[in-house]
Amino acid sequence: MALLEVRDLVVGYGPHPVLHGVSLDIEAGETCVLFGLNGAGKTTTVSAIAGLLAPSSGTITFDGQPIAGRPAAALVASGISLSPEGRRVFARLTVEQNLQLGGWVRRKDAAVARTQRQLVFDYFPRLAERGDQVAGTLSGGEQQMLAIGRALMSQPRLLLVDEASLGLSPTVARTVFEVMDRINDDGTTVLIVEQNAGVLPYADRVLIMEKGTLVFTGVGDEIRDADLRSTYLGA
Amino acid sequence: MSAVDDPTAGHPAPGSEPDGSGLPVEAAPIDAETAAAVRAAAPRPDRFRPAAAGWIGRGVVWAALAWVVLCLPGNIASPVSLSATEARGASEAVVFAIIGLSLNVLIGYAGQISLGHQAFVGIGAFTSAFVVTELGQEFWLGVIVAALVGALQALLLGGVALRVTGLYFALITLSYGVMVQQSLFNVESLTGGVAGRDAPLPTGVSSAYGYYYVCLGLLALVLWLDWRLTRTKAGRALLAVRENPRVAATLGIDIRGYTVLAFMVSGFFAGIGGALFAHRDGFVVAEPFTFQLALIFIIMTVVGGLRSRSGVVLGSAFFALMGDGILLKLLRLEGFFENVVKLPSEFVPLVLGPLLLLLTLTLYPGGIGQQVAPVRGWLLGGRFDRHAGAVKEVQVTDVRA
Repeated sequence: MALLEVRDLVVGYGPHPVLHGVSLDIEAGETCVLFGLNGAGKTTTVSAIAGLLAPSSGTITFDGQPIAGRPAAALVASGISLSPEGRRVFARLTVEQNLQLGGWVRRKDAAVARTQRQLVFDYFPRLAERGDQVAGTLSGGEQQMLAIGRALMSQPRLLLVDEASLGLSPTVARTVFEVMDRINDDGTTVLIVEQNAGVLPYADRVLIMEKGTLVFTGVGDEIRDADLRSTYLGA
Repeated sequence: MSAVDDPTAGHPAPGSEPDGSGLPVEAAPIDAETAAAVRAAAPRPDRFRPAAAGWIGRGVVWAALAWVVLCLPGNIASPVSLSATEARGASEAVVFAIIGLSLNVLIGYAGQISLGHQAFVGIGAFTSAFVVTELGQEFWLGVIVAALVGALQALLLGGVALRVTGLYFALITLSYGVMVQQSLFNVESLTGGVAGRDAPLPTGVSSAYGYYYVCLGLLALVLWLDWRLTRTKAGRALLAVRENPRVAATLGIDIRGYTVLAFMVSGFFAGIGGALFAHRDGFVVAEPFTFQLALIFIIMTVVGGLRSRSGVVLGSAFFALMGDGILLKLLRLEGFFENVVKLPSEFVPLVLGPLLLLLTLTLYPGGIGQQVAPVRGWLLGGRFDRHAGAVKEVQVTDVRA
């Protein structure tokens, strides 16, 4: 059984559905990349998985438990953590405070907070140097690192990263992908929403969305369809 | 991010490659201790320490402030003699400060507006008077019960009403305030009807001068509780909710729970303020607890400066002293509004308030707190920084409801 199973998911804003019956599986321990153009429904999908949007129909199962419609707070506690689109760090709070808030659901356990913070600083040494700096003054890459680090503070089993490389230079994007790969190697299942083909070497599986449905599932090399290749890989 | 615009490019962390990415490209992670050591070793500006003369200057200003606050209204070591009415006015300023801090918790920390705070203050006043006169208990118990009733009211109202936020929540509190004012305050068995209810001074306090110190003591308690609130996990959660509720939710913070909590703390403070209100005059009637009063409460809090304790206290005191004409008397401008502008002094806050509110929102979103921030920093032993409390630290959107 897959760690996360999504079946016939329909989600919309108001009366208009954005997702028209999406079904996908994410196996424990893999890195999945959700590809697609603007408006394809990628963010809607991860928002529904993270509990930020209630689906109008369909099921989401995490570790055997149905979770569709449960509040985000409960899902963080059960191990799903989201690094939201556009690196929404708390700009007026320090790096340290941002990380503390990330570990909110584990706040009663100081030992977990310590080990997770240590882990985050191992992945992103730059954050350790900037502990008492206000997050709004960090560079774009550092803010993205902080957003991912903050999501890691709750000790997730499934880490959702929405637009990991948005607005980052190719070098910084690559290093973010490399750290995501290390996080995955250390045992966390990862789902990355991306538009950047540079992420493909790190992906165990690629999902491609178009207009609210999944059009491809498989390994990156298997993308043989000429249309898909030209649209998403520029080749 | 690039190496060019990276401000830390001058002292890279050991183990990180100078590729500007800020990450070790090869597997050479540095642990947090090393990073902390690097941080500690980096040159930091020395903390500012005032010279001896600087401390004396600060001491003089502190002493002058303490004299105005502690001695003047109590006629201790005070060259002018204040009447009992004026001492009651000073008490009212302190009570308003407590109410201002109550609204600051809700508006400033939780980002929600209550337009029905006259109900919270009024119910606090009647509760305390009821406990003291009907149940024959001590003043202190009256204050505690009033505070708890305030918190309970907020829990009941907020538990239902905080399913919606912003404008709609403000609308619900507005209706709640007017409903309480029209119905509950007219129930004779609770409030004594038109005649009102007696609310004697606490035992051991014989005059309006003594009562002023009782109010001052409770203001100190409220300030301390407020300070504790902002330093705890709950304070941090509220900060996150206000900054970005959506992200706060993804981190597992119970948005509604903490907003209700803030509302309860606000109700608790308002209850204390209401109780002090009642016993100040010796009796309590429903007449002053109108929507007008709630409006003044909000204006004084915003003009005082959201999230600035000193600003809110000053702003609230200003509106209280303006309302009963004491400020003008102190400035030797007695009768200015009555005779020159033809405006009765109790309407002055309602006319002056919106003007000051407009000034605050357009020019100084940090309110009085922003104005006094440089002085405050100086008094606490820092440099006199003209730019302290500048606009970047406050958001106009706070008061958008």
